[in-house]
Amino acid sequence: MRKYKDLINLHDDRGRLIASEVPIQTVSPLTNPAIQKIINFVKQCVAVNLEGIQNALATGAVGGKYCSLRGRSVKKDLVANAGAIADALKENLQVTAKDDTEVRVLKGGKHLLVLVPSKRLAAGVEYTTSATATAAALCHVLIDKFKIDMWDADLVHAAVWGRYPQTMEMLGGNVASLLSVPQQNEGMGYALRNIMAAHTAMITRKNAMNAAALSSILEQAAMWEMGDAMGNFERFHLLGLAYQGLNADNLVYSIVKENAKTGTLGDVVKSTVQRAIEDDVIRPLRKEPSGFTTYTTNDMNKWNAYAAAGLMAGTMVTCGSARAMQHTPSVFIYFDDLLERETGLPGVDFGRVAGTGVEMSFFSHSIYGGGNPAVFAGNHIVTRHSKGFTIPCVSAAVALDAGTTIYTPEKLSGVIGEVLSEVPELREPLKYVNEAAAKIKGDF
Amino acid sequence: MTPTPLTHAGQIAKEAKGKPYKPQYYPGNSLPAKNRKKYLDPSYKLQKLRTISDDDLVRIMGHRVPGQAYPSTHPPLEETGEPACPIREMVTATPGAKAGDRIRYIQFTDSVYFAPVTPYVRAWMYHTRWRSTDVGVLSGRVPLEMRERDLEKVAKELVETEIFDPARSAIRGATVHGHALRLDENGLMFDAYRRYLFNKKTGEVEYVKDQVGVPLDKPIPVGKPMKEDMLRKITSEWRIDGHKYRDDKEAIDWVKRIHMLRTIAGFDPEGIKGI
Repeated sequence: MRKYKDLINLHDDRGRLIASEVPIQTVSPLTNPAIQKIINFVKQCVAVNLEGIQNALATGAVGGKYCSLRGRSVKKDLVANAGAIADALKENLQVTAKDDTEVRVLKGGKHLLVLVPSKRLAAGVEYTTSATATAAALCHVLIDKFKIDMWDADLVHAAVWGRYPQTMEMLGGNVASLLSVPQQNEGMGYALRNIMAAHTAMITRKNAMNAAALSSILEQAAMWEMGDAMGNFERFHLLGLAYQGLNADNLVYSIVKENAKTGTLGDVVKSTVQRAIEDDVIRPLRKEPSGFTTYTTNDMNKWNAYAAAGLMAGTMVTCGSARAMQHTPSVFIYFDDLLERETGLPGVDFGRVAGTGVEMSFFSHSIYGGGNPAVFAGNHIVTRHSKGFTIPCVSAAVALDAGTTIYTPEKLSGVIGEVLSEVPELREPLKYVNEAAAKIKGDF
Repeated sequence: MTPTPLTHAGQIAKEAKGKPYKPQYYPGNSLPAKNRKKYLDPSYKLQKLRTISDDDLVRIMGHRVPGQAYPSTHPPLEETGEPACPIREMVTATPGAKAGDRIRYIQFTDSVYFAPVTPYVRAWMYHTRWRSTDVGVLSGRVPLEMRERDLEKVAKELVETEIFDPARSAIRGATVHGHALRLDENGLMFDAYRRYLFNKKTGEVEYVKDQVGVPLDKPIPVGKPMKEDMLRKITSEWRIDGHKYRDDKEAIDWVKRIHMLRTIAGFDPEGIKGI
């Protein structure tokens, strides 16, 4: 069913045309098979740090910082036996012989990438199934394979699950999902927004276009889950996802290109306005006494999408030229300020991005504590107000950082980012989402 | 330093089919509004009023000793290589980023008594004139953070040109309070650290401490305070005893318009058609 008349041109991360005049609904999380696959992977994928478990067992250092059980030690070579562990784990997790379970050995046995079968998730209501099933199965496998007796089984549990259930989450554990436990979500539908920018940057191996795309997919898909992308606002989020996150009409890429060598954030504002005028998204309304032209639009949602694409390009030019992530909140505020003063039209997300920038600048510049932009997520108390338009820019900025922070994305993301970067759909979402959209365009 | 050459949008406007686009920067019909527009427009060259040596500026900022090599936060990009990313391939890194410089800051406080620029104008003009600026506006201070060697170039222009008045603008890294306090007997903005003093013999303001209040070996003169009528002419501040904001109907109407559009769009973006 075709709900919206908008057509977009799909481009890859290098600005090459993939498909033209594709209905906007093809990139909806409700219809795009690749986006749905990405969301399913986020639910199903679990990273296991076998090396971490091996060290925890050997030293008795389990359950997070400052927790060490002196005198407790189980020395087993898990890394060398990773293949056998993986096989046994798969057997434990499988529901039927040919289901979608997968356990992959990575980094010479140091890590495992586990894909928990969708049938297990379908048999419950919480996405935590993946982490719990993997952790529990792993305990059984280790006890069984390494003949660990009941007096050391508790150490195995602590090495795998961490301090849980004394803590809400698996604190200090060695099984990790991209999703936090539900208790850590700020409200209903926030699960996909509770993924740090550090993770998206690492999963996409610091390709800024793909980091932006993955982050935008997660954030905007959450808008459907939260109840935001409904009624008058569905098209608002669809266009936002397409133009800001998926490089629709090559807007982001071409604005960055125009300003790549010497452009300032102000230049990006001008490029954005120029493009909006050329594409008839905005038009002059009246001349003011000073000579200032006030602009208007017949399509506020499209204007917002253009502004959001400009914001992304502004982030890429500013943080890209500095090779530093910390500029993001400054871009949020002043890109919007300048855009509003340039046109007389509201900035991205109708003021919410600028507001988010104010808060985020305090919490990312050691004024009120906080942390560097890599720790932020859409679920964060100071960044949740913009409905999907800020965190994609943060992820792109984190990807562009050359190493200016004490807590690097590598350190913050840990094993999970590295392991999930092995999943092609997560690593290169632009490619897969575009291909899927082109494939289903005839359905609308 | 010459301002960034105007602009990619300007170039595009030249080539655009029958629809030239000239950036307009700021609405409003009063003198402060026009001054704001002027400061935001990078094609307007800021007037140079004084010369501060590179070394003296480094001393005032206090991040490194003059002549000292730039400490780095990561190895040069050439040595580390970069991940495969089309944006990194396109976007040229600044000299400081290429070298792996630390990110350092300069911070200004601007008096409410007709200082040339207001805090927000600083932020906007930093972003329209220079690349890779990280600026934030707080109640009484405006920090600018950049890679160190990039920062030093920008800082020079910020201190040497008409947007800096030695009496009513100040470089303050810490204990910034004073922007809204009365001026002293020499017309200087209050500073709890007394980082700068008025030299009655030369008529110049001299920095005797660096931006965080550490005493300097010798005073650094930063020029004479501007005359009051000059300040009133170049200021970007609206004041009840100067150019009243209320008299600038166009600027106020712009604020009302943005507020109205944000609100209506928040309720129903599809409901806005040609207003």
